[in-house]
Amino acid sequence: MTSKFLLALAFAAIVTPALAADYQASLGPMPLDDETKAVIAGRGEASASSDGKTLTVKGAFHGLPSNVTEAHLFTSIAPGVPGTKILDLDVTKSTSGSFSGSFKLTTAQAAALRTGKLYIQINSEKAPDTYPWGPKGTLWGWLLPAHETVGQNVPQQDHWFLPQYDTPHR
Amino acid sequence: MRKQTLLLAGAALALTVALGTIAIGQNAAGPFTAAQATAGHDAFDANCAACHLPDLTGTNDAPALTGAPFMGAWGKRTTAQLYSKIATTMPAGAGGTLSEKQYTDIVAYILQRNGARAGNTAFSPTTAVPINSIATGRAAAPVPGRTSAAQLSGRQESAPAAGQGNAPQQNNFARAMSGERVPDPGTFSLPSKLGVTLKGNIQNYQPVTEEMMRSPPDSDWLMYRRNYKGWSFSPLGQINASNVGALQLKWMWSLTQNGTLEGTPIVHSGVMFVWSPGNTVQALNAITGELLWENRLGPDPRRPGPGPSTEETRSLGLWGNNIYVNTPQGHLYALDARTGEQVWKTHITDELKAPGGGMFGGSTGGLIIIKGRVLVGMTNCGRNGDDNHCYISAYDAATGKRDWKFVTTALTGQPGGDSWGDLPDNKRKGAETWIAGTYDPDLNTTYWGTAQAKPWRRDLRGSGSGATDYANSTLALDPETGKLKWAYNHAPGESLDLDEVFERVLVDHGNEKSLLTIGKPGILWKLDRTSGKFIAARQTVYQNVYENFDEKTGKVVYRKDIREQKVDQWLASCPGPEGGHDWQAMSYHQPSDALIIPLSQSCVFMLGNGSQTYFEMPGTDGNMGRLSAYRAADLKPLWSFQQRAPFLTGVISTAGNVAFVGDFDRVFRAIDVRSGKTLWKTRLATTVQGYPVTFSVDGKQYVAVTTGLGGGSPQLKPGTMLTEVHRPPHGFALYVFGLPDDK
Repeated sequence: MTSKFLLALAFAAIVTPALAADYQASLGPMPLDDETKAVIAGRGEASASSDGKTLTVKGAFHGLPSNVTEAHLFTSIAPGVPGTKILDLDVTKSTSGSFSGSFKLTTAQAAALRTGKLYIQINSEKAPDTYPWGPKGTLWGWLLPAHETVGQNVPQQDHWFLPQYDTPHR
Repeated sequence: MRKQTLLLAGAALALTVALGTIAIGQNAAGPFTAAQATAGHDAFDANCAACHLPDLTGTNDAPALTGAPFMGAWGKRTTAQLYSKIATTMPAGAGGTLSEKQYTDIVAYILQRNGARAGNTAFSPTTAVPINSIATGRAAAPVPGRTSAAQLSGRQESAPAAGQGNAPQQNNFARAMSGERVPDPGTFSLPSKLGVTLKGNIQNYQPVTEEMMRSPPDSDWLMYRRNYKGWSFSPLGQINASNVGALQLKWMWSLTQNGTLEGTPIVHSGVMFVWSPGNTVQALNAITGELLWENRLGPDPRRPGPGPSTEETRSLGLWGNNIYVNTPQGHLYALDARTGEQVWKTHITDELKAPGGGMFGGSTGGLIIIKGRVLVGMTNCGRNGDDNHCYISAYDAATGKRDWKFVTTALTGQPGGDSWGDLPDNKRKGAETWIAGTYDPDLNTTYWGTAQAKPWRRDLRGSGSGATDYANSTLALDPETGKLKWAYNHAPGESLDLDEVFERVLVDHGNEKSLLTIGKPGILWKLDRTSGKFIAARQTVYQNVYENFDEKTGKVVYRKDIREQKVDQWLASCPGPEGGHDWQAMSYHQPSDALIIPLSQSCVFMLGNGSQTYFEMPGTDGNMGRLSAYRAADLKPLWSFQQRAPFLTGVISTAGNVAFVGDFDRVFRAIDVRSGKTLWKTRLATTVQGYPVTFSVDGKQYVAVTTGLGGGSPQLKPGTMLTEVHRPPHGFALYVFGLPDDK
């Protein structure tokens, strides 16, 4: 498990863009159960920068069970709650690869970004066509303010990142 | 040729579906036979009923498989999808381990129980018929000649006569020997005799007194979380941050396999008492691991493999010369701690039956003994269909006679009774007490947490936006009368299976007498335990169920879609029912004023019938486990680390500045309480699950912990999400560690 995590860290280090990131996202599997976990799997990382009016997103993914078909930005009412598609990302149509996009943001979109209500979602071929709980997808991850990540089993002293404390509410 | 065959098969399937649809439109029979449904009844009872209940109404993490909740979840999907779901995911934790015949039979039975009529066409895994075209959710008439679900359940819930306690296992064992594929063939327990299988003769046993309970000897672990205040802290310091790296195994003891194990070894004067599945109680020499006595109270686990979240008990209790055992079946026993023989036995509900079958009321949360009374909580008591309620009750430790009981739902005319809206009293369900309380001798008050109201979704419950007192509350009771002193509702109108039932830890700072607790939403609460007034709160993991949480007042406001939920609506919940915190209790390290808390980080989508899908908590990088320390005085964060595997034991800490905790991925570790740094770790047989303890005998300190499986969300969520973790389906055992012997 540790070696897998180190591999993931190294992978993230390679694909993380050189720009000073204002936001970061860790992409993990969308809702799954024992029936769907074979086709909903993989991980990804992303970073984003914004001046409040524009947004540049870059990231990468790996370990998907089938080729990626599309990637988008979504907005939702809170991290962990599914929302609606708003912008398209360019993405590698493979089981591993990268995605990116640059956008002009509306006022509402800029506010959503600032308050942790934008997320990246990647879809793949073998993920079920429909879920009763929401749109088809394989990986998702919310863009949250850039913060220190120290890895597994490394204690962080004092305060550590929690979205509800470290993301602006408005 | 192959292509032609496939085309023919496809055409036949299309024709079958088309004809089936037409036939169904003409009110024809469903796509299964009566023989399948009958066989499915047996297969369901043997493999599914322990969690989904014999009448399919579901409980806890097992969704209802009948009625409107089932139709809401499955009505628009096909029989093939239902088969796929069941065949790949069930039994929980052992998906795919039954035969295709067993799965098709079970699906046929479920369809029949939802009103579908049997016909002449056998159901197969590819039979794809919309479920709402053949089923209504209304149960069909019982099959003639069949034993009723209630009878079946009663048979399994009652303690069988000696030598006859393993009926399901015997049945499965015989099936396995005949070559049939059955779940987890490696985990069978051979039938064994119930009762005292080894009578003890412990000499010079020191009776446990009130004074010992108030101030436990340093060497002992006399009760659930060691002291009345629930600290899970030991004043022993021989094993410390400097030498814990040399810790080594001293002995181990294999416990009863199958079922659910989440227990606490209890240690008094060099004797260790341990519970394991089947209500097997054993006394062991705490230095050597030698068995001193054994009483197998029964009944044995209902099926091979890990059990559900309602078949354990979390702690034994000592008083005088007796040891006390509360069981998932609702019995309370006093055994002679010197011999293992039964002194008395009672039932917390006087053997009441539950609606739909089985015993009303079990007790899984351990117990607390105060002034000669044994106080126990209750679970399996929250279903609709009768006039009964959940309660906390107290029994004379000498005789077993019930002294008092306190119903944990506010009824009409009582304080808080108007918080259930217009619901009649017989619909006010839930508020189970599945973790034993704590006690302040100076205030003569015992503190208990309660679970949520039932059904746990407010749209099904019918209580509207009412607070549903005293569910998800802290209760302060007089231990001598059961009278309520005060109640504090942490989550008024709870609606997402997020209990606030867990440990109440009692801490003093100068004149401030506080109570600290944390529930599934992951909010660490601090109350004034003299009055029940809110003092402070701190969020420990990400949560999105409250759109507003005021840390200055403790007031919560649920997210709009939760407030306005509908039964057929999927709702997102962070945390999910695994909880930001669950039954794995925190430790209060008194020397540093630190609360060391096991936390979990997962979310769910859930439907009204309890169906769930799981996903990672945002902001956690896929780490489900977190261990965090907070200063009790002001709830200031001290340190935290996270890992993929969640922690499945309570935490204990010691005067040696070390804390111990075990996890889902078999790691048991020692941590420096001042920094969170891991000082020592080892890997055990299977998930490290239960409550570690530490004790000393003849001047040498030891640390004990159990490995085990079974349980609800803390096992089910990581069992699905951590696909890289592989654990054996057995390995229930007790381990005792110590420092190397002096040369």
